[in-house]
Amino acid sequence: MAKWIIGIIVVVALGAGLWYSGVLNTLMTPPVATPATTGQATTTNQQAAAQPENGMSANNDASDAAIAQDTAAIDAQMQGLTTDSANVDTSLNDKSVQ
Amino acid sequence: MTLKQFIVRAALLLGLVTLVPALALAQTSATAGAAAGASVTTSAAVANLTAAETKAQTRGDTEIDRRTAALTDLNTRVQAMQKVTDTFKQSLSATVSSVISALSTLKTKIDADTDAATLKTDLKSITDSYRVFALVLPQGRIAAAADREVTLVSMMSTLGAKLQARVQAAGQAGNDVTAPTAALTDMASKLQDAQTQAEAAVSASAALTPDNGNATQMASNTAALKTARGDIKTAQADLVAARKDIDTVVAALKTMKTSTTASTTAQ
Repeated sequence: MAKWIIGIIVVVALGAGLWYSGVLNTLMTPPVATPATTGQATTTNQQAAAQPENGMSANNDASDAAIAQDTAAIDAQMQGLTTDSANVDTSLNDKSVQ
Repeated sequence: MTLKQFIVRAALLLGLVTLVPALALAQTSATAGAAAGASVTTSAAVANLTAAETKAQTRGDTEIDRRTAALTDLNTRVQAMQKVTDTFKQSLSATVSSVISALSTLKTKIDADTDAATLKTDLKSITDSYRVFALVLPQGRIAAAADREVTLVSMMSTLGAKLQARVQAAGQAGNDVTAPTAALTDMASKLQDAQTQAEAAVSASAALTPDNGNATQMASNTAALKTARGDIKTAQADLVAARKDIDTVVAALKTMKTSTTASTTAQ
């Protein structure tokens, strides 16, 4: 009987120690989803947990204002892509003056 | 060691230290003439050069300045890339910086040349180094454009999720959501293809190495870069189409009676 009591005390003490050190919290916290980079416009799972990028609104905000903000942010990047694309053309058409 | 030997050895050495898997920009340097030059003399001795040679010297400086400006601009763009690893960016930036440094050294050497023979050799090294420049610049530009396209795919995917939530809510409220649903489906398809094309562009161009005068390799490099350029254009067209899909969905939502404060809640 005494062995059982000692065993229970040890288990409880071990559990308390793990809780106090934060190990249990770490193990019990669900993993954070990583932002999706593939072109699935209908995927909501991963984007919701990601941080807004390049002037986008909060990922879980689908209000009219948020959509307008996101559209503007996308348009800004589209303009950047136009420039990037033109730079590719320029680099390929470059001729040495020598 | 001859100048040509130096160029080849410098190319091999620099090529070995550039080890980014996704964009292994093998590099030679334009230091050939610069490093070969031993003495730096005063500009007063330029008087030994003919007017034609001095003109060629100026033209050489102009060419180097033009390349340096293009590479510096590329380096700035590289720093703003978002979807590549830090290692990738650092390696690409180091490659570009190395070429810029080599060009600077070469320019200094050319400016200090006082005899026609040395100047001729150094000017030729500009032409030799052009083969490096003509590869590194488009490689970097293609990588930057692909990075922007992947960034846009990510942003549009995020917005697509929001729009889908709104369309779903509108459907549940009794609206006909056939058109916006079709637009969202098309958008997803376009974004998927844009991602694929952007990745293909980098894959087609990243592993190319300077031709070092080899006509066959030069043709191969040119073809690969043009293929990559085509991939970038296709991805760009996909993104433009996806952007129009967004407008279609937003316009449809405006005509529907539904909540405008929907949120994406899936985790």
